[in-house]
Amino acid sequence: MSQVRVLGELAVLDDVGPARRGRAYPAAGATSALLLPAAVLLGGLVLWPVLRTMHASVTTDGRWVGAEHFRTALAAPGTGAVVGRTVLWALLVPAVVTALGYLLAAASRRSQEGGLVRLILLVPVALPLVVTGVTFRLMYDPDPSRGLATLVATRLAGRSVEDAPQFLGPGMVTVALMSAFVWAWVGLAVLVFRSALDAVPPSLADAVRAYGGKRRHVLWDAQWRPLLLRTTAVVFALVAVGTSRTFDLILVMTPGSVRDEASVLALRIWQTSGGTTTGDGAALGVVWLVAVIGGIMVAALFVRQAWPPPRVEAAPEPAPVAPPRRVFRLLAAGAAIAWLVPLAVLVATSAHGRVDAAARGWWSAPPNGESYRDLVTGTELWRTLGFTLLLATAVTATVLVVALLAAYPLAWLTGPAAQATGLLLLAASVVPIQVIAGPVNEVLGLVLSSGTAQGLALVHIALGVPFAVLVLRNAFADLPVEQVRDARLGGRRWWHTLRRLARHNLSAVVAVSVLEFVQVWNDLVVGRLFGGPGSSPLGPFLAEQTRSFVSNSGALAASSVLASVLPVVLVVLSRRHLVAGLVSGGVR
Amino acid sequence: MRPPAGVSRRMLLRAAAAGATALAAGCSGGTRSVQVAVVWSSSELDRFREVVAGYPAPVQVISAGNDIDAFLRARHLAGTSPDVAILPRPGLVTEYAQRGWLSPVRPSTDYAVRVELSDLLMTESERYGVWVKAAHKSLVWHLPSVLPAPPTTWDELVHRIRQLAARARRDGGPVPLAIGAADGWVLTDWFENVLADVAPGSYYALAQQGADWQDKPVRDALDRLAGLWSIDGAFVGGGRRALLTQYEESVIQVVHTRRAVMLLGADFTADVVRPFRRGPEAPVTFRFPGTQPGGGPLIVGGDAAVAFADARGGVELVEWLARADSFQPWLREGGYLSPNTNVSITSYTDGVGQRLATEMRAPGTLRFDLSDQLRGAFTGSDGVGIWRIMQGFFADVTDGVRASEAIRRATGLLAAAARSAGGGR
Repeated sequence: MSQVRVLGELAVLDDVGPARRGRAYPAAGATSALLLPAAVLLGGLVLWPVLRTMHASVTTDGRWVGAEHFRTALAAPGTGAVVGRTVLWALLVPAVVTALGYLLAAASRRSQEGGLVRLILLVPVALPLVVTGVTFRLMYDPDPSRGLATLVATRLAGRSVEDAPQFLGPGMVTVALMSAFVWAWVGLAVLVFRSALDAVPPSLADAVRAYGGKRRHVLWDAQWRPLLLRTTAVVFALVAVGTSRTFDLILVMTPGSVRDEASVLALRIWQTSGGTTTGDGAALGVVWLVAVIGGIMVAALFVRQAWPPPRVEAAPEPAPVAPPRRVFRLLAAGAAIAWLVPLAVLVATSAHGRVDAAARGWWSAPPNGESYRDLVTGTELWRTLGFTLLLATAVTATVLVVALLAAYPLAWLTGPAAQATGLLLLAASVVPIQVIAGPVNEVLGLVLSSGTAQGLALVHIALGVPFAVLVLRNAFADLPVEQVRDARLGGRRWWHTLRRLARHNLSAVVAVSVLEFVQVWNDLVVGRLFGGPGSSPLGPFLAEQTRSFVSNSGALAASSVLASVLPVVLVVLSRRHLVAGLVSGGVR
Repeated sequence: MRPPAGVSRRMLLRAAAAGATALAAGCSGGTRSVQVAVVWSSSELDRFREVVAGYPAPVQVISAGNDIDAFLRARHLAGTSPDVAILPRPGLVTEYAQRGWLSPVRPSTDYAVRVELSDLLMTESERYGVWVKAAHKSLVWHLPSVLPAPPTTWDELVHRIRQLAARARRDGGPVPLAIGAADGWVLTDWFENVLADVAPGSYYALAQQGADWQDKPVRDALDRLAGLWSIDGAFVGGGRRALLTQYEESVIQVVHTRRAVMLLGADFTADVVRPFRRGPEAPVTFRFPGTQPGGGPLIVGGDAAVAFADARGGVELVEWLARADSFQPWLREGGYLSPNTNVSITSYTDGVGQRLATEMRAPGTLRFDLSDQLRGAFTGSDGVGIWRIMQGFFADVTDGVRASEAIRRATGLLAAAARSAGGGR
């Protein structure tokens, strides 16, 4: 559920800058009623549960205990290591992703193969994290006769089979998890850096050169200082917040014996409190919540300028700049090939039957369609796919309607009110669901939909709305004044205006829809916490099968491949809309 | 701890579908159907549906997946508890009973299980659940051609493992043992088998609150385990590799790739053996050996049915499930052991089932799975509780840490975990 949701913060960040909604429009009549659905959802399923969790963290059965739960939770053996590992994730991984993202974005610019490279890098972004976990667990299988990475490392190190390096062992497991995460996220960073690089006016570089600047001066004065510094900060913050969702990967990739060595706060909270939220679990949850929201707030307030800057009115003439140097182009091509390897491993494993996939490597047995045949002829996969499709479609449609209604009146706000709303929505969109699972369940019980498909959909909708409202609000607010006037003149009623505005903001609507759909499709945690019998979506379906990983790897790989087709196609097809929609006002 | 209800249960490949069917069936079955939450999925779930099809009223079966505890807590919180649940751990039954979630049940005289089992479901002299399914967890699986004469005592087992390990080192034959140490319950099963043999009298005391986990029985059992586990070359790929091997993979190492000779399993190991066995030779089992020949321990797991307070028709269904003839459809299909001694041995259709059922009735050291009786997080799951502690112990002794030091560490952790679980979670 992670990457796409966080992408939203891009759009948000340009919202806390200097007030730029100088064009004040009269609020349209009683449109505040339009806010009602979003307010009810957010109030009932996000705000109230957050308050309940905070309450639970300082009480036992309703009795005030002060900081006792915090002391117990933080003093529990291993908590120090867990917190340390969480911080390491939040610092190291974003640094690597940001650096790689910039390098690859620069290296894949203005060359013929660059588009293909970026396309390949984008595919992992769209995969469910569960599938990423499955893929890398296949790669890192401790048996060199099955795990490609283990085999290669054994050969390179000249070790015997008995002494093969164990990527999933206690010493290396965090590195293995991080590598999977980097693989999944670099495409996103490349996408962002690329649009940032494209937004740098070439005239700036020309000016630097005219004053005798060298290549490094161009880099520094024409790219880094005006724009890339800020973009780097944004990407870093995004990925850092994204690492709070490594939960899926850990659950899928780590055998039970090394789970402690891989554990981060998300997992610790899960282990402490499961589906309920009480005592120590609530205390850890509050710590986590404060860190995540604090982090995104600092990032938002720190980066106080519109990003990327609004495009200059006159489109820059095609830049007569040479493609990157050969060595960089080779780097980009090499990265693309490296990024393809895990995908190839997944597909190759899926082309083996249960016994072959479990007993030997995919390279030592001829491929066959046994796993696919079993899946396709059975009913389970189809039922799960069907349910997930239905769920994701219904959630996306509802989120879109609720968010459009709410974004319309919110877009007229200016000044501090607009900024405050932006920050509030931003905070709501990064609340980790594990932290508020217990209270959300209570609320769902009130409306009689706990453990049902409706309940599951309701939680998804509530979690998706803040992000969608943000993006759409920003898009509406940034519309050129003539378009709004035309819309208001053309439509006699507010919904006509809304419809026209939505049409003018096609990119934002598409971006919101695709991201919401993919997020629900790829979700594991929400499904696991709130799914029930008869409402089990793809994420939990795949994750359950990983409990006996090796004996199931054929079917698991095959269902992973089938589960990934739709999100990959959607993201790849809509990639231009995604960027354009998220940075809304700036690009049109 | 067993894998909550066997192998096939974890293959949720079919669970979602089954759940959907359950929901559909439940909805179409009218509003008065009794709702049962189970951990089973796949073929076990289908079998159980056949069983409740014999119940006079409509029954809606829902598969709650592996973590039925979280499922039931969430449902309770939301006020939508099912009428009946079938729980894989007696510890849950007493926990729920003490919280007042359950109704007492009074099965007919037709329900007869061994007192060691039935006592586990009693709280304050009220019975809150009945056993509906049992698992035999003291079986060592092997191929007869690879191990023609199985050891009958613990010392013989250790001796044989030394021999096999030496032979494997010398000329690369199969190593003596496969073990799925990545799954903590495999290690607790080892521990329980040994503990039931070295200290049968102290076994159940450890399940009580305030038990001394640093006392002699635990140390003796761990010492015995350390003696065997620390044998050089005992496990496929060594100890570090074994800790990354899941239970199913360890079965494959014995019956398919034949890299190992034996593994400690259970009657439900047959579910993995079936798809992965190779050639005409069928893997067979022998009883986990104890100090005396023929007097080995017998560790039993099981599932208990409970009725929730305020349930509609829950108590009646539970009492019906306790009857000897209720599970006939599952008995006929095989892969089911009844805890009820009124079920006649001849109603098992296969020889193995008859043998295991007979063994479970024989007088002797029958002990119920200890980790399943522990409270709160101590009961173990991935990375938590006794599972994690036993994995740490396994890592120590296979890594050359002296047995006394490893035992000191493990008992210290066990005692701490027992203390913090005492107050419940």
